[in-house]
Amino acid sequence: MTRDELNAHRLVKEAKETELRAFTRRHFLKESAMGLGAVAMGALLGSCGFGNKSTNAILYDPAHPLLPKSPPFPGKAKSVIYLHMAGAPSQLELFDYKPELMKMDGQDCPQSLLAGKKFAFITGVPKMLGPQAKFAQHGESRAWISENLPHFATMADEVSFLKAVSTDQFNHAPAQLLIHTGSPRLGRPSMGSWATYGLGTENQNLPGFVVLTSGGSFPDAGKSIWGSGFLPSVYQGVQCRSEGDPVLFIKDPQGMSRDLRKASIDAINASNEQEFATYNDPEILSRISQYEMAYRMQISAPEVMNINDEPQYIHEMYGTQPGRSCFANNVLLARKLVEKGVRYVQLFDWGWDAHGDGPNNSLNIGLKNKCRSIDKPVTALLLDLKQRGLLEETLVVWGGEFGRTPMMENRNGVQNPYNGRDHHTDAFTIWMAGGGIKKGATYGETDEIGYSPVSGKVDAFDIQATILNQLGFDHEQFTYPFQGRPFRLTDVGGKVIHDIIA
Amino acid sequence: MSLGHFHPVLVHLPIGILLLGCFFQLLTVHARFLSLRPALPLIYLLGGLSAVFSSATGYLLSQSGDYDPGTVGLHQWLGICVSVVALLVYGMYRAHAKEALLNVVSVVLIALITLTGHYGGTLTHGSGYLSMALKEDGKGKAAVPPVPDVQRAAVYMHMVQPLLQSRCYSCHGPDKQKGKLRLDTRDLIFKGGEDGKVLVPGSAEESELIKRLLLPLSNEDHMPPKEKPQLTEEEIALLQWWIREGADFNKKVLELKQSEKDKAMLLSFQPGTAKKEQQLADVPAAEVGKADAAAIERLKDAGVVVIPVSSSSNYLSASFVTAGVSPEVLTLLEPLKKQLVWLNIANTALDDRGMQRLAVLENLVRINLSRTSVTDKGLNILKGFSRLQYINLVGTKVTATGIAQLKTLKELKSLYLYQTAIVKDDEPRLKKLFGKADLDFGGYVVPTLEKDTTEVKP
Repeated sequence: MTRDELNAHRLVKEAKETELRAFTRRHFLKESAMGLGAVAMGALLGSCGFGNKSTNAILYDPAHPLLPKSPPFPGKAKSVIYLHMAGAPSQLELFDYKPELMKMDGQDCPQSLLAGKKFAFITGVPKMLGPQAKFAQHGESRAWISENLPHFATMADEVSFLKAVSTDQFNHAPAQLLIHTGSPRLGRPSMGSWATYGLGTENQNLPGFVVLTSGGSFPDAGKSIWGSGFLPSVYQGVQCRSEGDPVLFIKDPQGMSRDLRKASIDAINASNEQEFATYNDPEILSRISQYEMAYRMQISAPEVMNINDEPQYIHEMYGTQPGRSCFANNVLLARKLVEKGVRYVQLFDWGWDAHGDGPNNSLNIGLKNKCRSIDKPVTALLLDLKQRGLLEETLVVWGGEFGRTPMMENRNGVQNPYNGRDHHTDAFTIWMAGGGIKKGATYGETDEIGYSPVSGKVDAFDIQATILNQLGFDHEQFTYPFQGRPFRLTDVGGKVIHDIIA
Repeated sequence: MSLGHFHPVLVHLPIGILLLGCFFQLLTVHARFLSLRPALPLIYLLGGLSAVFSSATGYLLSQSGDYDPGTVGLHQWLGICVSVVALLVYGMYRAHAKEALLNVVSVVLIALITLTGHYGGTLTHGSGYLSMALKEDGKGKAAVPPVPDVQRAAVYMHMVQPLLQSRCYSCHGPDKQKGKLRLDTRDLIFKGGEDGKVLVPGSAEESELIKRLLLPLSNEDHMPPKEKPQLTEEEIALLQWWIREGADFNKKVLELKQSEKDKAMLLSFQPGTAKKEQQLADVPAAEVGKADAAAIERLKDAGVVVIPVSSSSNYLSASFVTAGVSPEVLTLLEPLKKQLVWLNIANTALDDRGMQRLAVLENLVRINLSRTSVTDKGLNILKGFSRLQYINLVGTKVTATGIAQLKTLKELKSLYLYQTAIVKDDEPRLKKLFGKADLDFGGYVVPTLEKDTTEVKP
């Protein structure tokens, strides 16, 4: 800055200060007479019973934001593992068996199915496409599961299928946002943030909400699907890596001893405490607690996040590939984290978008390989949680953001080179297990070609309401005040799906 | 006739214009507002004319016969008064009447407009709409007030009538009879409306009342109209059941036949029952006093996570996930012996000696002892916890002999025994011994199939 600039800067500053001095107390009272009246009236009305009577208000303690808290009623599930297959797996090749669709294979799609519908890619009249996998019934529940998931088929009696899930978003990012944050647009807190905001986390040495991704790419909606939205920022998901250091820069740099690290964090915190004494901003307390947690995490995270210490038979069970970043490793990590008291573990596995525009994006090649990569780990997760007595209190959810059409995808009227299906919003399958969910149940049914729900239709809000219910919350009472009104994860929708609750 | 439908829109013109006129007139009392004076005749003229036009459309609307004649009459004559008075004031301006007189007439006009508007509101929203808004607490009130003991309640008086009142009367009641239908007395319900009978006792399927409720919301004939509050599934089920069982106006709930499903539906109107459903069995039903706060604090200082199982409960859960076990810490649990129901002490150095210190925790429902040094000797203590439902002994040195002594636990639901010293041959015997409790010995294998390692190639 030159001397002239500096002088100009000082002049402006002085002018501003002089201007501010003109605003006296009298001025304030005069200008805000009406406003003050309204504020007073608001307070008075509140005491008359007009105001918002939230009895289940969650106390947010900025100094200890993640301390464990009790839910409004005793929840069945203590933790959640959400396995999201980003890109949307085809329900018609996995769980929703439609022999009738086979009969229509290769025929032009009837106009009645196209009238008034909009698809992400399909234009004109597409051909119908029969199931591209063989199905069989499994377990005592006689659930239909395709040959693509031979291991998971043995779990038929452990899970509850929701066969008629629907959404109103046919693009990946908004659909993913809707299912995880309750809104297709950015800015709302994700389910994991709500869970840690409401319940805190048992293990103060680890984050309460951990995110693990695999499949070579982030989900389309980006990091906002594990963001904290308007909730305090400490509740956002902490993305960990399954390869190398779990969290970047978790190791002390060379020449930095543990004691020196502690001393420097203490010094930063002391200065932050001074800052808090001056400004009283609760976010400063959060900041202090975050520094302290980071320090504790340096010790505990590498230990928990290291799957190499697991015995060989566990690695074989999950089909892990130590040293590489893959879904199986993440699933095993998820089990370890939940065992250590982490509240919400969110997995994203990218690459399920089987449009048929390339071999890796097709139902007969790409989808089968994706299934191969999750079949063993998911089955192992359920069995491992079960034998450790953890499945009772861990809710496992599996699903995508929407389903896929019974029609074969065409683009601009030209058939895609491989068998593929377009995005479909009206019906797809999600399953849940553990955490007080019924074993071997199916809820919801689609029509004979899997196009629309016939009964038991549920949407993203219903799924969120059910997950919150299992954690011990009434989704209608679980709110956060923001911009002058209480906000819910489920917005104005959501019904707990009692039919799948044990 | 269709002009009549514009009445509810048009009325706001004279209301706005005339109120503005009256307001300006009263302001001109102050000299500084005298500049408003010249506009007043024009305002009153416009207001008066729009009032006349509104009255005319109102008359057309009243001919539909959907409204209570008494209220309509009042509203009509008041409306005509407003038009006349407004035009009269205009005339007074032209005749240069005295200011004081103009002020008085303005006040009268405000009163007339207010009254007319109120009766108009009564016609559209039903009587008592004003006081109702004050009573409501913001959240949609239940259509059927909670019934303390549903089986002893009178079906019609306590349940059906309040439901009809809150969801139907505003259009099919004393003030308004859309489609010539009134639902507020027994005779009127049976009489039906202009399209015939609405209720066929014994057959909900044939009753128009139910049919209309079940039509899709988008259907024009759906009732209540889609912009109005809708009936819940339970409320519709209540009406269906009541009609199916003969649509009786005097009987009590328990005098009518009920299937299991009906019983559940009826119970949903009884407060407290929905909550009971969520009262999970793994928390004792009996009330318990608050635990000693200082004792909880001491445990927290030792790193033990102690929180109530729910925010409204005094029962506690304790977790040692980030705490170590020492004789002192275990002693700290003692003051919580009545309240502690869930205990997670897994992955600690807890041994049989330590188990002795837990012996006082008589109310335990869930205990996780996995990967501790507990052996058969320590299991002895568990026998005394008669409420135990969940025991996790994964990774301990317990044997079949030790486990067998737990068979006296009547409530036991799940017992986890993976990686214990139990030999494979004893498993069937133990399973038989425990009958309905779920014994999980783990050791699951997910075999590697050829398919798992063969990549599908194009």
